[in-house]
Amino acid sequence: MRLQTAFKLGRNIFFVLAILIAVGWLVFVPSAKEPPYTFVTAWGEKGNAPGQFNDPTGIAIANDEVFVSDSRNGRIQVFDLDGHFKRQFGAPGKGEGQLGRPMNLTIHKDELYVAEYFNDRIQVFSLDGQSRHLIGKSGSGPGEFNAPGGVTVAPNGDLLVPDFYNHRVQRLKADGTFVRQWGVTGEKGHTAGVFIYPTDVALDRNGMLYVSDSYANRIQVFDIAGKPVNKWGGPFAIGIPGPFSGWFRVVTGIAVGTQGDIFAADFYNHRVQKFRGDGTFLTSFGGKGSGPGQFDHVIAIAVAGDGTIFAVDFANDRIEKWRPTRS
Amino acid sequence: MSFRTFPPRMAIALGIVLILVATNVLAAPATYQLYVDGLSCPFCAYGIEKKLGAVNGVQGVETNIKDGTVIFIMKDGVTLDEAAAKQAVKEAGFSLRKFEQVRSASPGTPEGRAK
Repeated sequence: MRLQTAFKLGRNIFFVLAILIAVGWLVFVPSAKEPPYTFVTAWGEKGNAPGQFNDPTGIAIANDEVFVSDSRNGRIQVFDLDGHFKRQFGAPGKGEGQLGRPMNLTIHKDELYVAEYFNDRIQVFSLDGQSRHLIGKSGSGPGEFNAPGGVTVAPNGDLLVPDFYNHRVQRLKADGTFVRQWGVTGEKGHTAGVFIYPTDVALDRNGMLYVSDSYANRIQVFDIAGKPVNKWGGPFAIGIPGPFSGWFRVVTGIAVGTQGDIFAADFYNHRVQKFRGDGTFLTSFGGKGSGPGQFDHVIAIAVAGDGTIFAVDFANDRIEKWRPTRS
Repeated sequence: MSFRTFPPRMAIALGIVLILVATNVLAAPATYQLYVDGLSCPFCAYGIEKKLGAVNGVQGVETNIKDGTVIFIMKDGVTLDEAAAKQAVKEAGFSLRKFEQVRSASPGTPEGRAK
């Protein structure tokens, strides 16, 4: 009799758990609404010669040229859209024109903005490699940085900078004057408007700010007034990592596509995920490995004008090119 | 059968070379290997390099992201204090799993201690 009761109890617990898992799966694991992208080509290998990389970490595109942060080599390399090497500039160091671990990049009005992780500054270059401005210095005060991971530029020239170890995103005038910040300096958090080691930012054409809140495993969105309006990544976007669609395991890079879609470099899941601007999951592509169409820790993304995606395959020391699959 | 003897001048020269080589080896800076969990992200590895590079007496820091290890090369005659390394790793957002000295500082020099 007691055995029968235990059996019934176990069976009921099993059914309840199965229902909870099924509901959780339906609610928290969205299905793809688009086909994955198609792999086109890859270029690069480990080294310090032209066309080789030693820790590529950032990427940006302008005028049919691909700019890549070759971080440990302390330089920017420039390629055409098929991966043919064109030129390089920068050398390891702290001086003007030198680079201390360049990370995520952005291009605005024919100038390249480089976040320098070691030098705690943003350096602005002409596209032919002339250093033009240095913005910021080490620290945790307004306008100071503790390992900036990336940068984007607003239409009025304001800079938005994820300040990695200060757990904040700063908005600065083009001359570096502090405007405002999101997040609490030096404090991590899982609620809306605070961050855990943010690494990259992107603005869409409507002025919405997207932040890769890297170690909170989510993307946060702020409206033009700076108010947090959305966040996604796992259940309730509270930092739970996972391998499922729409979840992240450290989101290191973010880019806005030609249609306003959001692309995220899902670092430890070795894939790129694509979302609508409202966070609806659309598709993903990649997978762990070193073969064609695989990634060994994808870290950054850039979108060309025709929708082609360029992704930085960090540990394989290469760049991958993908195009949308016509369904 | 006859053996050629080693000319004395050559023997002296060889001796000098051996002494110089030995001195050079013995004068090699102290080197440490740290094992840190979760080091496969460059933001983490560079953070550790940056924090540890700022520790007094450190000549160079090399991270091996795949192995999760950090090699510390100290300036001549300086040793690394485990507590200082632990603190720098903590400031970089990680915890130190293991600390080991892989090469000693040169003997006979006044040993500094990095803090």
